[in-house]
Amino acid sequence: MSSGFGRYVHEIVDRAGLEAKEDGSAATEAQHLLLAIAAEPEPITHRVLDAFGLDHHAIRVALDREFERSLGAVGVTPAAFELPRASVERGRPRLAASAKLAIERGLGSVERKGDLRPAHLLLGILQAPVGTVPRALDLAGVDRDDLRGRLLEALQG
Amino acid sequence: MRKTVITGGRELPDLLAAVGALRRLADQVEDAAVEQAMRSGWSWPRVAEARGVTRQAVHKKHARRLIAAGVELRRR
Repeated sequence: MSSGFGRYVHEIVDRAGLEAKEDGSAATEAQHLLLAIAAEPEPITHRVLDAFGLDHHAIRVALDREFERSLGAVGVTPAAFELPRASVERGRPRLAASAKLAIERGLGSVERKGDLRPAHLLLGILQAPVGTVPRALDLAGVDRDDLRGRLLEALQG
Repeated sequence: MRKTVITGGRELPDLLAAVGALRRLADQVEDAAVEQAMRSGWSWPRVAEARGVTRQAVHKKHARRLIAAGVELRRR
């Protein structure tokens, strides 16, 4: 693993852990990695995400919509009741399968490990065909193929 | 209230996503409810019985978080 990529992944996983706790989630999921990426000033990922209107806030809103839609599929309306905010656990949450898969896909997207760059992590997240991130991006009206294509172009340029 | 009829493959992605969303919602409700109960002076055994789990299970899952948050915990 190239050291720049490894360092970046560590930073993102740390930050994503905070996003997960903010969410009341016991584990760090792929969507928390995406939120963390949107909050870190890495130039290639930012140029591409910005072009699709995907800043941290927009991703958060899309994820909230996805949560509501998923619950709505079985007739549950979270807006129907107000929960008091619970205190969050200290320490770093474990990595969930979706986050591990995103990192593995990022690693697997280059032939030589030396070619890995930070934006390959985002590429790994965007390779998920199903799950929370694709659903949230669809709800935000994002063309995922286009987004992935633009990211690949930016990585090659 | 209209009932959702599960037919064909069309709703499968929504249903599979709903499983994760329900678990997450259940966790949020549990965290908030246990914290409210302990802040109101409930004991671990009472919370555990109301929740339908053992005292050890509820303690293991929530004690560290609540102690860190400065909640005064009753032993019994």
